[in-house]
Amino acid sequence: MADGATMHLAVSLVPEAAPSHPSDAGPDFSLLARFVQKAEAAGLDMVVLADSELVARGDAPNRQVPFEATTLLAALATVTSRIGLVAAASTVAHQPYNLARRFASLDIISHGRAGWNASMVPNPREAANFSRPEGFSGDDFRRRAEEFIGIVQGLWQGWDTDALLFDKSGGRFFDPEKMHLLDHKGEFFSVRGPLNVARSPQDMPVLVMSGLSEADMDIAARFADVILLDEPAGANADDLKRRALAVGRSPDAIKALMNVAPGAETAAGPEIIADRLEEPFRSKSCDGFNIVMPPVEAVFDEFVDLVLPELRRRGLLRSDYPGATLRSDLGLAGRDEL
Amino acid sequence: MTAHRRQMKLGAFLWATGHHIAAWRHPQAHVTAGVDIDHYIQLARTAEAAKFDMIFCEDAAGVREANVNIASQTSRSIGFEPISLLSALAVQTSHIGLVSTASTSYNEPYGLARTFLSLDHLSGGRAGWNLVTSASHIEAANFGSTGLRPHADRYERAREFAEVVTGLWHGKLDGASGSGHDGQSFSVRDPLNLPRSPQGAPVMVQAGASDVGRDLAARTADVVFTAAQTFEEAKSFYEDLKGRLATYGREPDDIKIMPGVAPIVAATEAEAQEKYEELQELIPDDVGIALLSSYLSISDLWRYPIDGPLPELPASEGMQSRQALVVDQSRRDKLSIRQLARHFAGARGHWRVVGTPAQIADELEARFEGGAADGFNVMPSWFPGELDAFAALVVPELQRRGLFRTEYEGRTLRDHLGLKRPI
Repeated sequence: MADGATMHLAVSLVPEAAPSHPSDAGPDFSLLARFVQKAEAAGLDMVVLADSELVARGDAPNRQVPFEATTLLAALATVTSRIGLVAAASTVAHQPYNLARRFASLDIISHGRAGWNASMVPNPREAANFSRPEGFSGDDFRRRAEEFIGIVQGLWQGWDTDALLFDKSGGRFFDPEKMHLLDHKGEFFSVRGPLNVARSPQDMPVLVMSGLSEADMDIAARFADVILLDEPAGANADDLKRRALAVGRSPDAIKALMNVAPGAETAAGPEIIADRLEEPFRSKSCDGFNIVMPPVEAVFDEFVDLVLPELRRRGLLRSDYPGATLRSDLGLAGRDEL
Repeated sequence: MTAHRRQMKLGAFLWATGHHIAAWRHPQAHVTAGVDIDHYIQLARTAEAAKFDMIFCEDAAGVREANVNIASQTSRSIGFEPISLLSALAVQTSHIGLVSTASTSYNEPYGLARTFLSLDHLSGGRAGWNLVTSASHIEAANFGSTGLRPHADRYERAREFAEVVTGLWHGKLDGASGSGHDGQSFSVRDPLNLPRSPQGAPVMVQAGASDVGRDLAARTADVVFTAAQTFEEAKSFYEDLKGRLATYGREPDDIKIMPGVAPIVAATEAEAQEKYEELQELIPDDVGIALLSSYLSISDLWRYPIDGPLPELPASEGMQSRQALVVDQSRRDKLSIRQLARHFAGARGHWRVVGTPAQIADELEARFEGGAADGFNVMPSWFPGELDAFAALVVPELQRRGLFRTEYEGRTLRDHLGLKRPI
């Protein structure tokens, strides 16, 4: 690239229906751990862990998944050290205070590698399991999600980065001036704060947004760090970056990753797949890709062992992690401007 | 329990820098505990090497102290969210149980059941849920509540919540077959989309001491935590709760009662006492006075000379008989406000035992053999030192007496606790 930028790569783990174990043998964490370790060795920016909403469509109950995504993220954080770890969590299944705590904690556990994937597509089965059988109208869901995300990011900034003093002899654990109440009162929620988890090592967990429709674009422009877009992404990515500029954010402050599912095409050869990724990246249709595949080692191995070296040969992919946190690997600044 | 003697259960109650209010100021306390996952991994491994049944985490969905000046002199305003913490510990340990508190007031049963079941799978059947209801205005304000629900309403919600969670865990809620849940506070349509628990169902823990809390425990709990200062208090609670089980068709052994104990152990009694005094000295005056004021329901205690006696107090509506006893004792022993404040801040309602390994083992043995406890939730004063000391000094003494296991015999938390597997 002329400006030296290389593409960002995420891999989405779409949980298979858990193997049916008639006995006590539960789902296999070590298989998933190996998969993520392989992604880390390959230098990918992040793994995106799906939760139930991504496997549920239509009117059937949600398919089985091996683990709930935020708990899985915590476990994976202890067996990896560089790769970003992003978990889906629904705005219907959680309260904003609880979700903000969970991800703030995950971010500290992972030393600044955590992200939250907020989907703007409601799962039609979900509300009925969370005591809201009437569900939400599309518009209510959107306004509620917008308010929810704003609260979560507000709570994440409640403690200044230098708030904790740990001053044993002076008897002051934190500086009272550097803790801030949120005092949010909105249409759907009221949340006083502060969060009872410390400030993130990367300023804030990374906010990934997915399932965006036209009506969600202004929300993403205000809040998102990363957006996952379906192919073709170009028009949407341009649109989003214009909207970001309009709300005072740098267009570079949001990374647009295009969802691709190259599983079936690996047989076509690594050059073909590399071509397919190179073209939209060079034409600035996106900042990188979200590789969607089932956690099947053989399929992933082919992608890592054949396609990634080809992308590196073309100068399209960095070979090591440039920073210590997910935010810095993605080339995102802190969010102090908000 | 055929061949060998009944043995006590032990929990390691991990809480930030320690259970003593001034723990974080101790020279060797790990002051950054609330932001250091490696510290917790180390504590978990210490507890596992000592064959503890479980790690236990408290929780609140909010900071602990509304007065920011007081809060800033303690370490309890920040820490890990416990579900994420225990999920991380699950894959860094192999045997020890992992129990977290979570409130029925600000969660939904479907989400909570799913999260704990996932923790249970990550740990191979070592998860437990400590059910609490929230009675804090600080928490309520984070969830849009205008006020706290009355006690009875909170427990009715908790009862329904527990019923839905266990129904989901046991695979007995399934909307497809027309048996979803549609109740007063909650509705659930689908079964959980996770496989069944490796231990049948995660372990249910409770801590409510009120009459309605005891009934809920008798109906649903596998383990009960409690605070009891004296042997008599502990025994009376133990007998009362075990006595309620028959009503729900359960056996006395179906519930393990584990009172909290805050030990300070050293090779000699004098040394242990010195360790305790050293911690007491570290309690900031503001913090001690605030806790004492709130306990005695006096708002202007700070106006009086701190090294002087407690002022004459008007008889107040809020004054309970236990508080009156405290006032009497302070007069009898001629304690200053500062001394009295430290006394309260240091103990905070829990059973404190200060002494040698043999003395502490004697105390635990007396309650265990005397029909007042099935085990204990150990609350180290500061971390890592007091957990290390308990593991290195008290556990071997209990093992020598045959009162505690020397090896894990099973893999799941239910195995360790000797609990039946739910059908």
